[in-house]
Amino acid sequence: MEVEIRTEPGRQEPKIVILAGEESEELRRLADSLSRLALGPIPVGRGEEKLLLPQGDFLRFYADGKGVSAQTAGESYTVPLRLYELEERLDAARFVRISNGEIVNLERVTAVDLSLSGTICMTLDGTVKAYVSRRYMKKIKETLHLGGRNPRGKV
Amino acid sequence: MEKFRWTWAVRVLVGGVLGFLFSIVLVSYIVGTRGPSPATCLLCTALGAVIGAATLPFADDGRALLLRSAVHFGVTATLFVLLAAQLGARGGELLAWLAILALVYAVIWLGRWVGWYVEVMQLRSLLGLSPGPSPLKWRETLPYLAFALLLCDGLPLLLRWADHAVSADVPVLSGLLLPYILLPVAGFSSGLSLGKRQGVCPLYPVGCFLCYLPMVFLLFNSSAMFHCFMVAVPALAGNVLGWLYRRAVPKEKT
Repeated sequence: MEVEIRTEPGRQEPKIVILAGEESEELRRLADSLSRLALGPIPVGRGEEKLLLPQGDFLRFYADGKGVSAQTAGESYTVPLRLYELEERLDAARFVRISNGEIVNLERVTAVDLSLSGTICMTLDGTVKAYVSRRYMKKIKETLHLGGRNPRGKV
Repeated sequence: MEKFRWTWAVRVLVGGVLGFLFSIVLVSYIVGTRGPSPATCLLCTALGAVIGAATLPFADDGRALLLRSAVHFGVTATLFVLLAAQLGARGGELLAWLAILALVYAVIWLGRWVGWYVEVMQLRSLLGLSPGPSPLKWRETLPYLAFALLLCDGLPLLLRWADHAVSADVPVLSGLLLPYILLPVAGFSSGLSLGKRQGVCPLYPVGCFLCYLPMVFLLFNSSAMFHCFMVAVPALAGNVLGWLYRRAVPKEKT
């Protein structure tokens, strides 16, 4: 299958057109999964500055008592959205809620550990720690199954 | 939350009723009296209710889990000991019953932990990460178990034979050298090496203890039971020290 990307200056949302000789079940599934992909950038704030950052930049979103914050590899930002609103906007195959107050980017998970007291700790990008509530384990596994993720390093 | 509370209330109630029935039907049979005393009935009912809530501590994790487990064990142990005393157990017998309860508790806790670990392994695999060490690092401990077998079974057999061969009045090799020098030093060293390589491996000291146990009765008698501890405790200490060393001095990346 040929894949082509064309840039269009000024376009806000990406548009995908599939060219095929005839319709098929496979194509419909492809179109369906593409339309479910949320690729829009996320609005964040850093002091007075307002920014739109691509979803792939984020390691996690977490409730910090005052509101919601987002963490990238280098910085933290405030987010003008609630966690449940973020859940609706984020790519469901990539971002998953791991506890009442935290959503993580599964593609940035570098380690998962279990302590003797049953606490599950996810390490993001080798440095950031996020704690998984066991109540969310089923949902996390479902997301990973649905995402049909390829183990890293395997093609 | 309301539903959650109701579920637990029902479990506690069912446990209490079963405990009461147990006191009526079985206690009379076990103790051989006509009927249980009101105190026995009360203790059985309370113990049943507490057992009904036994899975409650596992609903959480971290500090809450440890705290709830400790409180649950404390209440269960108190009621259990009171019931055993009510049924006639005294002194050492009471302690033995308490030890059995603690063992059952530890086995259940361990089973639950292994279940969580398997879930974490699945998660790692779904994320494309390496599956990590085996539960309680049993696979990583296996190579050291061969050494434990030699130390705890091969060496005592050899030294006992040597003592008999020289027909010594005092079995210096198997009675003095083995338990006071060889077992602690070798147990500690092997535990240290394992700890440095693999971190804490709780099964290694247990393995040493169990490997030596048949030798106590085969070569000595129950008075030599302390030999098991002379190898298991240093193995545990060495393992923890090795793990601390590993944490303090991370391996250099090549």
